[in-house]
Amino acid sequence: MEAGRAKGTVTPLSFLFPAQDAHKAATRVQDAISEKERELEHLLGFISDNANLINLVQKLPEELHHEVMVPFGKAAFFPGRLIHTNEFLVLLGEGYYAERTSKQTVEILKRRGKALDSQVDSLKAMMDNLKAEASFFDATASEAEEGLVEIREEYVEENLGEQESGSGVNKQDVPSVSGVDGPKIVEEDAEYACIMSRLDELEKEEELAAANGDQSDEEDEEEKETADQSLEKFYDDKQSYSKGSTSTWLRDENVGSKELLDKYQQQQEASTNPSNCSGLSVQSSSKEDVSSGKNSLAQTQRVRNPNPAAKSVTFAEVKEKNQRSPPSTREAFTGSIIERPPAIPKTSKQETGTPLQPSGSQPSKPVSRFKMQRR
Amino acid sequence: MSSTSALRELQRELETKANDLSKLQKDIAKNHQVRKKYTIQLGENELVLKELDLLNDESNVYKLIGPVLVKQDLAEANANVRKRIEYISAELKRLDSALQDLEEKQNSKRDAILKLQQRIQSLQAGKAKA
Repeated sequence: MEAGRAKGTVTPLSFLFPAQDAHKAATRVQDAISEKERELEHLLGFISDNANLINLVQKLPEELHHEVMVPFGKAAFFPGRLIHTNEFLVLLGEGYYAERTSKQTVEILKRRGKALDSQVDSLKAMMDNLKAEASFFDATASEAEEGLVEIREEYVEENLGEQESGSGVNKQDVPSVSGVDGPKIVEEDAEYACIMSRLDELEKEEELAAANGDQSDEEDEEEKETADQSLEKFYDDKQSYSKGSTSTWLRDENVGSKELLDKYQQQQEASTNPSNCSGLSVQSSSKEDVSSGKNSLAQTQRVRNPNPAAKSVTFAEVKEKNQRSPPSTREAFTGSIIERPPAIPKTSKQETGTPLQPSGSQPSKPVSRFKMQRR
Repeated sequence: MSSTSALRELQRELETKANDLSKLQKDIAKNHQVRKKYTIQLGENELVLKELDLLNDESNVYKLIGPVLVKQDLAEANANVRKRIEYISAELKRLDSALQDLEEKQNSKRDAILKLQQRIQSLQAGKAKA
């Protein structure tokens, strides 16, 4: 870990969970367990009482009368005789009594016993939970005392090393004992998969759009006025470019990306899940402050990034345009490259947007050029 | 000199707030106790209702009022128990809302106390430097 640049962080477990605290927590859970145990004992006492009572009630009507010592006050007894041995006055609770025969009484008592059993079961389940908790705390405490360290390594693309180690520190307080970076990697993977699927989707959409681009051309012209003003400028720019031999390409492309953008907006509005990768924050930000066609240019270019290399003709032109106006490219870049939902705090937005793109689709040149400009 | 007086004032404030907080916590504990009592009663009443439902119509039912057993109609007893269950449920609901309210208050108080402590600490740190 020390050699080379740090890819992850190492924290002693005792730093995250001080041994005393873990012990304190363990003792607290132990207290809770002992309390539950007392309750359980209480309940078990009730159950045995109940069983004894059932026995007695069953036996009493066997005789017509019983000779008993009747308690009189606290200390005195006098001899007496129990008659009407099949008549019981049963307390139902809340001060209600019912006259019952021995058999009926036994039924009542058995029902009561069932209620008690269910209570015991729930109590035992609770105790099991608490015991698991206690063992966890104990394990944590002993591990902290042994000087176990937590190694946390970010799952990153190669060129993101420096940044990751920086951001890794912030995530220290995520509680976990061992095998810590498991969930993290999973998360990253999920994120990556999400982005990749999104890109594939985009490609498909674009192909579709390119296919019926010609007939929807005019509609789109109307649409874009309301939907995205920046696109209008972009469109005009494109028109001036498309006088050349690549005109059909450009037109198709133009329409395609426009439709894409519209779709983006719809999806963005529709997406309720904040962590959804399809929620691009590009539109909202660039829509507001787009003052030049460059912004929209950059936007569409980014959208087109996953395209097959066949469209590199246009790329070149767009690139030219971008380079001719250096002051706005930077702004355009920051406006356009935000491809991640704000809910994922891990890597910086600008970093993940670009490097993740190339792996599934064509790693087209403009990406690297953008990077160059940015640095 | 002004900083020390301010500090003292802050500490006084902190004390009153801490008192309020402990009072709130006491209230919450009381609420918990009352609620526990009511839940037990609710369980008992439900048991009684079940048993009463199982009784046949001609069986005698008595209610213990003070030291004497008073004979009661089965239907009447049934209605009484039902009403009681209703009342207890309503009471439990009321206690729940009260508890929520109390907890909210407790949290806000706790935040306030934390802020006060931070201010006091920063003041003390400033004084130590000076």
